[in-house]
Amino acid sequence: MSILLELAQGLQNSGLGTALAESRYAFPLVEGTHLIGLSIAVGLLFLIDLRLIGVFLKQVPANTLLRQLLPIVLAGFAIIFVTGILLFVSEAETIIASSALPFKILFLVLGGLNALYFEFRLSREPEFQNSSAAILPDRVRYAGYASIVLWVLVIISGRLLAYI
Amino acid sequence: MSSTVEVLTALQNSFLGQAIGQSNHLVGATSQVFHILGFVSLLAAVIFINLRLLGLALPNMPLKEVSRQAVKFIWIGFFFASTSGFLMFLSAPTLYYANPAFLAKITLYTLAIVFQVLLYQRVVKLANPGKFLVWTNVLLSFFLWFGVSLTGRAIGYV
Repeated sequence: MSILLELAQGLQNSGLGTALAESRYAFPLVEGTHLIGLSIAVGLLFLIDLRLIGVFLKQVPANTLLRQLLPIVLAGFAIIFVTGILLFVSEAETIIASSALPFKILFLVLGGLNALYFEFRLSREPEFQNSSAAILPDRVRYAGYASIVLWVLVIISGRLLAYI
Repeated sequence: MSSTVEVLTALQNSFLGQAIGQSNHLVGATSQVFHILGFVSLLAAVIFINLRLLGLALPNMPLKEVSRQAVKFIWIGFFFASTSGFLMFLSAPTLYYANPAFLAKITLYTLAIVFQVLLYQRVVKLANPGKFLVWTNVLLSFFLWFGVSLTGRAIGYV
C-alpha cells in the first residue's frame, strides 16, 4: 500500500499532475469532458442494453443497433479513458485513499468482462446475429441487465470517490 | 437585485433548504448521482436522435418513430437532473447565485429548454427534415446541452 501511495504522490507531484490541479480551467474542463464521454459511451450503451432486455426499439434487430452504435460507444470510452487518467494523475493521492476506489475498479472490471463476454460469445451466436425477434434469449437479456446495473454502480462509486 | 437575494435567502432558510444544507454530505452525493444519471439519459437520447438525424443510425427507420421512442429518455433524464439539481441549489442558493459558472449554466439551461420545445421536438417529428434544419438541430442541441454539462461541472471551481 505504501508503494502505491508513494507512486500516487509521485504522479500528483509530476509536471502534468501539478499543472492540471493548479489550472483554474483545465481541471473542470477535463472533468466535464469525462462526463460528456460518459454520456456518449455509457449513455448509448444503456440504450443498447434497453434493446437487449426488450424495452426499446423492439422492431429493430438488436444486432443492427449494436453494430451501428458500437464505434461511437468505443470512441466515447476512449474519451473517458484519457480524461480519467488525467483526473487520476492530478488527484492521485486523494483517489488512492478513497474507500470507493476498490469498488469502482471492481465494477469497471466486471462491466468490462460482461461486455467482452457479450461481444465475443453471445453476440456471435446465430440466434443473436440473425434474430429480428423483439424478445431475445434469456442469456442475452441477462447480459443487458448486468450491463445496466454494473455501469450504474461504476458511476455511483466514481462519484463517491470525492466523498468517502 | 436585492429582492432576488431576499428570495434566495428565504429559500435557503426554508425548511427544505435548511434540511438539505445541514444533512449528511452523502445526501449531497446521492443528489449528484441522480443528477449524473439524469443527464446521461438526457444526453444519450439527444446523441442517439442526432445520429438518426444525420443518417448515421437506423437510416431505414422513420425519424418520427425513432424519436417517438427515444424522446421520452430526454424528458425522464431532464426530470431527474432538474429535480436533483434544484435540491442541490436549495442547500446554498445565495452561494450559487453569485457563482459565474452557475449563472452561465442556468442561462444555457433556459436556452436549451426553449430550443428543445420550440425547435428540436418539432424537427424530430418531421418525415424528412432538410439539411439546414438537421444541422441546426444537431449543432445547437450539442452546443446547449454539452454547454450545460461543462459550465455545471465548473461550478465548484470558479
